[in-house]
Order: sequence, then C-alpha cells, then structure tokens
Amino acid sequence: MVDSDDINIYRNLAGGVTTIQILHGSANPIGGRSAIIKLKWGESAQNLIFPDSPKFIKFALGENVKQSNWGDYSRSRFPQTRMGVEQVYTDYFSRAKEYETLKKSGKPYRKDLEMETLVEILNKERFISCHSYVQSEINMLMEVAERFNFNINTFTHILEGYKVADKMKEHGVGASTFSDWWAYKYEVNDAIPYNAAILHNQGIVTAINSDDAEMSRRLNQEAAKAIKYGAISEEDAWKMVTLNPAKLLHIDNRVGSVKVGKDADMVLWNGHPMSIYTKAEKTLIEGAVYFDIERDKQNRETMKREKNELTTMMLQAKNEGLKTKPVVKKVDEHFHCDTI
Amino acid sequence: MKHFNIYILFIALFMGSFSFAQQTPGSKQTKPIAIVGATAHIGNGQVIENSVIVFENGKITSVNTTNTNTPGMTVIDAKGKHVYPGFIAANSALGLVEVDAVRASDDQDEVGFMIPHVRSLIAYNTESKVVESMRPNGVLMAQVSPKGGRISGTSSIVQLDAWNWEDAAIKTDDAIHLNWPSAFSRGRWWLGEPAGLKPNKDYAEQINEVTAFINDSKAYLKGDKKPINLPFEAMQGLYNGKQKLFVHVNDEKGITDAIYFAKDNNIEQLVIVGGAEAHKVTDLLKQYNVPVLINNPHSLPANDDQDYDMPYKLAKQMHDAGVLIGIQVGNAENFQTRNLPFYAGTCAAYGMDKEDALKLITSNNAKILGIDAFVGTLEVGKDATLFISEGDALDMRTNILTEAFIQGRQISLESHQTELWRRYSEKYKNQ
Repeated sequence: MVDSDDINIYRNLAGGVTTIQILHGSANPIGGRSAIIKLKWGESAQNLIFPDSPKFIKFALGENVKQSNWGDYSRSRFPQTRMGVEQVYTDYFSRAKEYETLKKSGKPYRKDLEMETLVEILNKERFISCHSYVQSEINMLMEVAERFNFNINTFTHILEGYKVADKMKEHGVGASTFSDWWAYKYEVNDAIPYNAAILHNQGIVTAINSDDAEMSRRLNQEAAKAIKYGAISEEDAWKMVTLNPAKLLHIDNRVGSVKVGKDADMVLWNGHPMSIYTKAEKTLIEGAVYFDIERDKQNRETMKREKNELTTMMLQAKNEGLKTKPVVKKVDEHFHCDTI
Repeated sequence: MKHFNIYILFIALFMGSFSFAQQTPGSKQTKPIAIVGATAHIGNGQVIENSVIVFENGKITSVNTTNTNTPGMTVIDAKGKHVYPGFIAANSALGLVEVDAVRASDDQDEVGFMIPHVRSLIAYNTESKVVESMRPNGVLMAQVSPKGGRISGTSSIVQLDAWNWEDAAIKTDDAIHLNWPSAFSRGRWWLGEPAGLKPNKDYAEQINEVTAFINDSKAYLKGDKKPINLPFEAMQGLYNGKQKLFVHVNDEKGITDAIYFAKDNNIEQLVIVGGAEAHKVTDLLKQYNVPVLINNPHSLPANDDQDYDMPYKLAKQMHDAGVLIGIQVGNAENFQTRNLPFYAGTCAAYGMDKEDALKLITSNNAKILGIDAFVGTLEVGKDATLFISEGDALDMRTNILTEAFIQGRQISLESHQTELWRRYSEKYKNQ
C-alpha cells in the first residue's frame, strides 16, 4: 500500500523525521496491522519496512468506531455506543480463546486469519496501538485486556490519559498523544495540552504523535509544546519524539538515540532542535543522506530548468498543430485517522 | 451575603484556581499600571530594552526607558521578560463554533449563496471555551468571519475578554467576505466523469453572477429601495468605503481576476485572503495597493513540485516584494488559532527578520483589518491590549504568559484546560 515516492515522505525528511509507524483509519474497534517504516524516499516499498520490526495491530475506541459523526444513515451497525464496544472486544477475544483451544486440541478446525491474529495478541506476540479518547473507554479496554491476560502496548491520542495516568501506569501501557489538539469532536472536550506533561510526570512512557503529513514534519515543534504546557524539561520533551516512541515501538535497541551500535539515523539541525527558528540541514538514515538542504537548493534549479524545457516542448508541439488535451490537476487524498 | 462571599473565596482558594466554567472578564482599569524592565517588542519593528510602559484608563500613556513612578501606580517588575502588543487573529471562526463535529455548536455557515447581510458578530459566543484558550498564548483579538457560499456575510472584530458580543466588538461589520470562484472543478464521478480536478468551465459565468449582484445592489441603492432588500442594503459599505471586501482566493489567476474585478466595480478596499500563489503577482498587488492575508504557514505545499518550504517562506518573499501582508487562520482548525504566534515564528525561521515577522500578527494585521488607529502596536494613545511573556513569544518553548491586559483590564489566563490540569495534578499529588 505504501507509495515510497510520495512527496510527503521527502517533506517529512526535510523536517528531520526518519522512522514512522503508519496506521490506517479508526473505523473499527479491532483494525488491521500497522507497519513501521524508515523514510528511505524513492526506494522500493519493501525496502522501507523497518527490518525485523515487531508486529503491531490497530485498535480504536470512541466516536469513530461508534459512527457518531457519520450522519443519520449510519445508525444500525453494532456498536453504536461505548457499551457495545466492550462487548465487541469480549466477544472476539472469547472466540479467539475457543479457537486456540480447538486448534491445540488436534481436532479439525477451520483456519481463520482474524482469529489467528487475535491469538497472537493473547500470546503476547503482537502489540496493540489503540486510538483512544475518554477515560471510561480507556479503563474499559485495560480491564478487558487484563481479563484475557494480555496488555495494551500504547494508547494513541489518549487525550484523557491525564485523568487515568495512575491506572495506565499499573497496566504498564505507554502513551502517544497530540500536543494540543482538541475541540474537533465532542469526545475531545476535556483534551488538554498538559496531557503529555501529566502522563510523563506519572512515569508513563510518553510520545507526541501527529495525525497527518503536515504536522508530522514539525514533530520537533510539537515536542517543544510540552515545555510550554506543563514545564517539562527540554531533555524530557525531546525524548517524546526520539527515544520514547522508539521504546513504545520496541525498536529502541536500534533507533531513538545517538549511541554506539545503533543505526546512524540522525539529523543535523542548524540550531536548538526544538526552537521554532531551527531547520533540519541534513537527515541521515543508516548513514545515507536522504535530505540535504544544499542539495535541495540545487534540485530546485534543475527542476525549474526541466519544467521550462518541457513547457517549451509542449508549446512547440501545440504550435505545430499536434493534438492537445485540457489541463488536469492532480490531487492526492490525504488520510487521517478519521478517514473512512 | 458577606458569609456567602467568604465561602466562595474559600472554595476558590481551596481549588487553587477560579472554579467557574468560564473566566470572568477583567474589571475596568482604575489605577495607572507600569510594566518596568522588560524588552518591549513595539510591533512596528522597534525593540526597546529595559522599557517602561505605562497605561491609564485603558490607554497606553507612555513608552520609554525611564521610570516615572507616580503615586498610586501599580508597578509590575518584568525584568528579563518580554512585552508584546496583543496578537490579532484574522479570518477566524472563534466563538462561532465550539466543537466542529457537533452540529448544534456550529454557527459558521448560513444557508444562502449571496448573503452579505448575515452578520457574524451577533453569533459570537464570548463564553466559548475555545476563545478563552487563546489568551494564554497571547492571542487577544480576532476577526470573526462567516464561511461558505459565494458571499458568506459580514465579519466583525472582537477582543477576547467580554461579557457579551456588544462589549467584545472593537470594530463592527468591518468587512464582507467573498469566496472567489475556483479555477478548477471536480468531475461529477456519480455521472461517470473522471473524479479529478479539471478547469472550471463555469468560471466566467460565476464571476458574472457576482458582478450582476453588485450591479443590482447599486441600482437598488440608487433607487427608492422598495421593497427593502436586505442583501442589497448590506452592500452599501463596500461602495461608500466604510467596509472592506475580503476575497478568499489562492491561485494566481484568481487573485489577478479579483484585483481587476474590484477595480472595475469601484470597490476601493480589497484584501486577498489565502494567496498561496500571491508571490507570482506581487507587482500587480503593489500596483493596486492590495494587502494579502496569507495562509497559516503550517500547511503543506499546494503542489508536488513546489518547494517543501513554500508555505514557510511565502511571507518572506511577499515582504521583500513590498506587499503589505499579515497571517490569517481560516485554513486551520478553529482551536489551532492559538498557534498564531508560532506561525509568525515560522516565517522568521524562513528568512524574515523577527520583528518583521511579529508585525504579521500585530501591526500589519491591524492595518489590513482597519483597526491600526487603536491597536496593533505598543504606542502612546493606543489600547493597553498587551501581555508579558517569560521569553520570546513566537517560540513554543518560551511563550509563557505571566500577565495580560485588554483595554487596560487585567485578564485571567486560566481556562477550562488549565483548571483540568491543576485538578488532575492535585489528584496524583494527593494519592
């Protein structure tokens, strides 16, 4: 699915981003598998995949899975309430347990890919990233997980995490949150920009996430907001976009800090990396330069020339009477976690 | 009654913060106040180190470097801190929408295609939780604009600490908003056409519709005005120079056409809102003296082949070309209006002088909105709408406000969000 030539990969490199976890939308309580990729722009999609990266799956809670904002015609799919969401999880994991028991018993069974994936979760072979908003549902999912003897790895967005940091700590789950998003849905009424600071202060491994290609290219600034909102130290705020997300993705043995033996995924900044005035000058992945501000300048000139040449050729062709076609503007669709 | 008040006070102290849902507007300034020792960013490009700023009865009375302490004056020691004029958000939806996804809380977009008579001001909710979240970041004033249709309605400009829209208004019905026809239209995929963008073949016709509306309204205004036509009545301000026309348009051709359109129709005060390609028509913009409110720079480039930093450096290019520019927030989500200072910071990161970048959200926005006679800079005679920050207010790390004033009234920097922060920090402290 990944378009490894996507210009937004390059734009992210220019913002000092080297590794991302890509997750699909949040329409279902139990979603699909996600991928961890390195932004090796222009290489084949296969080469972008983080080598031997751990297995993940996306879960989701809240208004998206209960279709609250889908209009008046989307009122019949189960679940329509948070009550229903709990039962979806309980139902699926009960069935997964039965499936595994049957499979292990040696009796004939019908192979079911959904159940196989859920069994991986029960056996702690696949980690869960769960899109989450309000405290009741967060506590519910931790409770369901504990009932079935597994753990949630990361709550993403987790905008009311600050209300239940103590319970999250006990469960051992990490947090990946927006720096300052709120007011876009009813369930983010109590979302506060101090969320990251409170979670961090309670000892939760906390990361700052984006939800789109625009914000993800300014992660350094998003981390800086944890200094403004909640007075987190600069070092701790910086970890929220480096070492902490690496820990949450279980790849901190390879990336997340500058340390002998780790991958040479590094950014050369022209100033304090969390200052609004700072730019990334070079972005390296495994020692190779994928973004260089000087090379970018040269490429601009090359592209300008090439564009002029092509335009001239097209005009000549038109003047010679060759067939033309009307202008068509290319538009890419950008996916967010609300995209259906 | 006295006991009741003491009880309230006790509760407030106990909670560690004011515990009302919304912040109570600050009361009228009764004593002169001096802010002493701060680095003052005047908002016109000038910086005064170790400054003394005095304001009285809501107006700035002195800006210099010597302390003229008069009896009864409140002195705020701001050594090492920074003072700024209140930031001004142009083309915001503040107070018109509370939660984007909750229809009942959304008053941005009225039904109708040409509805200049629809006024944003009367729907402006002073008690919006989104509005109060602006102030801790230094955003103290905003233009509140209606959205949608071809002519969306009439905006007004408010200050963000008020009991109701009447005392919030600092300029009523300042501008009419026109969404310029798009150069491209989407294929009607449900009729089997390709879904991509293709040239809008109705473009000229759509401009003609607006021209016809203008001609009809002018004819109406010259006649006996019977029967009363509210949309036509509302257009008068554009023709007598009392109101501005804000044209929302991004592409080169659209901007060019909009400029000639305004000229042809004798509309004197034109402002371009958006202007993603305005750098391609700077000569024309200058020739006709048209200012541009550029998009919030935290956006993606418009095309794949644009420079990755195009939205960041547009301000610098426009500034260097000599066009009057400010920053608008209409292309971001409502709640993100509080990031306005960091938009200006980004323009500084990509080439602008820091004090010039500051103008984009202070004096330039004030000029473009037509409120520069009384706000936008720290100058004698202007409203004491200003704030003190621990450090550089255009950088996330140091935009930390200690005091803020609107028209000399000290305002609360608390919000629904700071209250929750304190409440839950307490929760864990007490465990």
